Amino acid sequence: MTTEAPVALDVRGLSKHFGGLRAVDDCSFTAPKGKVTGLIGPNGAGKSTAIDLISGFKLPDAGTVVFDGKALQGLPPHRISRLGLIRTFQTPREWRGLTVLENVVLARWDEGRETFWRGVIGLRKAQREATAAELTRAREILDEFGLSELRNERAGNLSGGQKRLVEFARMRMAQPQLVILDEPMGGVNPVLGERMALAIEGFIATGTSVIVVEHNLPFIERVTHHVVVMSQGSVIATGPFESLRSNQAVIDAYLGEMPTYEQPSA
Amino acid sequence: MKQYLVSVLTEGAIFGIMALGLNVIWGWSGDFDLAYYGYVALGAYMTLVLTIGRHPAPERYILGLELPYLVAVVLAVASAMVLALVIGLIALRHLRGIYFSIVTLGAVYVLYVMAGQFVPLFNGYQGLSGLVNPMADALGIDFNSYQYFFLGFAIAVFLLVYLFLSRVSNSRFGLALRTLREDERAAAAFGRDIYRLKLKAYLLGAGIGGLAGALFAAYLSAFNTSAWAPLETIVLYAAVLVGGRGNIRGVVLGVLIVIVLIEESTRFLPDIPGHPAIVLALRPIVIGAALILFLRFRPQGLLPERRYVDPIQRTAAPGGTT
Amino acid sequence: MHQALLTLGFGLVTAAILSLSAVAFTLEYAVTNVANLSHGEILTVGAYAALVVHARTGSALAAALAAAVAGGLMALAMYAGVVDRFIRRGTPTLVIFIATLGLSFVIQNVLVIIFGAANVAYTISPGAPRQVGPFLWTAVDIEIIVSALAITAALYLVISHTTFGKALRAVSQNRELARVSGINANFVASATWFLAGLVAGYAGFILAESIGTFNPSFGFSFFLITLTAAVAGGLGRAFSTMVGAVIVGIALEFFGGFVSAGYNLAFAFAILALVILIRPRGLFVNARRSVFE
Repeated sequence: MTTEAPVALDVRGLSKHFGGLRAVDDCSFTAPKGKVTGLIGPNGAGKSTAIDLISGFKLPDAGTVVFDGKALQGLPPHRISRLGLIRTFQTPREWRGLTVLENVVLARWDEGRETFWRGVIGLRKAQREATAAELTRAREILDEFGLSELRNERAGNLSGGQKRLVEFARMRMAQPQLVILDEPMGGVNPVLGERMALAIEGFIATGTSVIVVEHNLPFIERVTHHVVVMSQGSVIATGPFESLRSNQAVIDAYLGEMPTYEQPSA
Repeated sequence: MKQYLVSVLTEGAIFGIMALGLNVIWGWSGDFDLAYYGYVALGAYMTLVLTIGRHPAPERYILGLELPYLVAVVLAVASAMVLALVIGLIALRHLRGIYFSIVTLGAVYVLYVMAGQFVPLFNGYQGLSGLVNPMADALGIDFNSYQYFFLGFAIAVFLLVYLFLSRVSNSRFGLALRTLREDERAAAAFGRDIYRLKLKAYLLGAGIGGLAGALFAAYLSAFNTSAWAPLETIVLYAAVLVGGRGNIRGVVLGVLIVIVLIEESTRFLPDIPGHPAIVLALRPIVIGAALILFLRFRPQGLLPERRYVDPIQRTAAPGGTT
Repeated sequence: MHQALLTLGFGLVTAAILSLSAVAFTLEYAVTNVANLSHGEILTVGAYAALVVHARTGSALAAALAAAVAGGLMALAMYAGVVDRFIRRGTPTLVIFIATLGLSFVIQNVLVIIFGAANVAYTISPGAPRQVGPFLWTAVDIEIIVSALAITAALYLVISHTTFGKALRAVSQNRELARVSGINANFVASATWFLAGLVAGYAGFILAESIGTFNPSFGFSFFLITLTAAVAGGLGRAFSTMVGAVIVGIALEFFGGFVSAGYNLAFAFAILALVILIRPRGLFVNARRSVFE
């Protein structure tokens, strides 16, 4: 018996194998709407593959993914993105040669203005206004993330931490319904991590649901409302982080204890 | 001397158009397309079979119409784009990197072999000829002044293409294209239909190549397999790379340096008696070496792609999360 | 049937040359992840070296050795002079691919300067064709096939049963990992390219023998067909490449029998396009993937 909380993502029976290896094996979970869901598990649990399958970068062998009432499995990544699900990657994937400002502006796919003819011929007032509005919004977002000084720098010249912030800025610009962050804390110091945690809270505040894949368990404890644990391709436990501490299956999968999060003094 | 200068500049304009087209495919979309010269060649061939009418046997070729030159140019561009559509549909869907390049290399060699071996197509190795001074009659230009007229025409077309691509470059379409080149996965994650965008860029570039071919056919009055070799694409790549990949001003500079300067400088070297081939062979050696050296030491070219600088100057805004 | 068997016999000769060239190309790719577009020039250099030595010594054996050595040195120079320098800088393989195309351009034209652009005749009297089973082969044909088999067997032994071979396989799987395990990846790669060059140079020699004439661009033309075999078999996988080469070689011979041999190149690439479309990673590799996998 449950009070039906709205669901952002409903994954059922997702499977993918490579040769003999079952990377994702009958994986099922739901991510509640308007909340942060963590996806954790030891190395090789299949988390990243599951994300690839959900976001269209790999084709599932079986299973369904339902997002906002639509089935995603089998769709190419750009379609899924246009439906409102945007993901990041384990390494920052900025558009190196373009400036930080351009990186943020281009985070929004604009159907109307990206066709060839409108691009070349369209100079109508509405278009120019749209461009100006877009730039203003991008500048505001860069301000929020403290990246204003860097906006004319080529994105490839930024440090790793700065690139991660650009990724968040892009997400904010795109305003998707669901954001999937693939190991955002990789190589990130605690201060930056706190900034990210606040950014994630910002997403929730604007109505975006979040899924975070992470190894950094303290971070997961800090940001998530709900956690899904994977091991060997399938889900072994779900629930709030605290409840998983004493979950034997989870402890076994992690071969031991799970550390706590400490707010950095900064 | 004047005649020589006119012909160098005309060729420069035509190759400039070619290089600009290649820049769309490689400089912006990021695809190392080895079939490019094939589109130029097809443009040239089609222009000829649409304007020279029907020559008596043993010459054999398709069509053989006598359309006005400008109409033929439009049709030639269209046919280059059709060919690009066929090749692009096959090569761009699933292939990237060297697999894409190898398939396009194969495609252009198939075209090359067919053009030479399959006589009913474009008269085989003999090729086609007879496009003399197009538009001269309609405009009342006499034989002697024609070369100046055609130079002006070629430069005008070049400028049109340049301005057009300048608009494309600054448009959102152009920017979206470049995100594909920078990082395809991220582009897809942010909603870009990679296949469709690349295909559009491919068609655009090929169409421009076909346009250059149409001009080339008029310039040479003729065209056959000795006028083009699939590997000539390397020369265009060298021009785009040396000048500045992605930057259309760089491409123009690259054409001036690689094609005009190098080609013409070897022309002035004395022939070494007994070895007529040497001087001719120097040009590709220099070009090939330039390609390798630039790839190694200055891959962005002489004029790197320009950064977009935010027109609004401001000091650092206070606030925001620190 | 008789005609078919004869064609098959000729096809086997082509297949022999093709498989040596393709295996050499695959070795180069395996240790550096670079598709060497100037690979054809190794064959051309081998052919010219054989020509020069043969003219001086009159010995086909010396010519063969000269071809192999010249090929080995050429490949080594390619690796050390160009490819390795790019690899050290961490250049993407597509860029190195482009550089090898430039290299091809340069080498072909250097050969034009030295030897001229015209066709040169390479006459080693092939001897009269003899009946060997169902096939009709000349002495040269038989030498080609036998030597190809011998070299292939030798390569197989080296790759699978020597420490060098083990190191080669390690480097081709994962260069960094091999280096960390104490293997001098650079040495292994250089040695492999030299080895590949030996084989390719010799292939140039037998190709010249087989055709009878050649010019500075003949290696490149043949290379395009080699590329078909290598990609069809699966880039970087020696055994399947050889199978691919045999299939392509025989198919070409049959095709050439029906239509003029001038279309060979077009036919080879038609095969390639087909293979790549159906199985982008080669005929013998599993594939059910999105373009991102």
